[in-house]
Amino acid sequence: MDLDFKIVNNDICVKLVGEIDEYTARSLRDDLDKLIEAQGFRTMTFDMQGVTFLDSTGFGLVIGRYKKLRAKRAELLLKNVPPQVDKVFRTSGLYSFVPIVK
Amino acid sequence: MNNFFDMKMLSSGKNEAFARSAVATFALVCSPTLEEINDLKTAVSEAVTNAVVHAYKEEGGIIELLAEVDEKERSITVSVTDFGCGIANVDEAKEPFFTTKADDERSGMGFTIIETFTDDMTVRSKIGEGTTVTMKKVFKNA
Repeated sequence: MDLDFKIVNNDICVKLVGEIDEYTARSLRDDLDKLIEAQGFRTMTFDMQGVTFLDSTGFGLVIGRYKKLRAKRAELLLKNVPPQVDKVFRTSGLYSFVPIVK
Repeated sequence: MNNFFDMKMLSSGKNEAFARSAVATFALVCSPTLEEINDLKTAVSEAVTNAVVHAYKEEGGIIELLAEVDEKERSITVSVTDFGCGIANVDEAKEPFFTTKADDERSGMGFTIIETFTDDMTVRSKIGEGTTVTMKKVFKNA
């Protein structure tokens, strides 16, 4: 799946879509890491509006990208988090590391 | 007698979406809310992921998915059984963030999510024989 992203100033906003689980996370992880390695930016924002399902594998993917970005002195942000995804993130304590922006 | 289904599938990540959707569809007779259905789907997904990733180390085996609905009580009980490696210490595995595969970006949150998103969870496991995760979700909201 090609990633849909937009770069404005020093922020790259990536639109995540569909179901993020054990089956889909692997290729998404590779695609995001290519983007992280290739681009220079200060913040990466995941727009979660199109995500229809996410489990703890998806949480692991987000935390993993947070760590990668932090190593590059960049920040990860989230926006438009749907209720099902929000509940997994809240239960996992994700928001202590990755904030939501409007 | 309560309605139930019992099916076997390959322990492939490809089947996760099918497993959680099948259970969610089966539970519709209890008129759950969207949030309750999402809770159930998430919990089933965690149990199936455990079987795929940990029980069979992604090498493929059989997962048995059993679901029984109690229409009177408005509840569903789901069991996910594998015949894989088994869990050495179930109490330790249930701890939040406990994982044997941290390098693989495993969150260690699977059992915590099942416990939080359902009303009851039991884990029975024997080394070399496999694991059964049983969860019950009661649909309380109209």
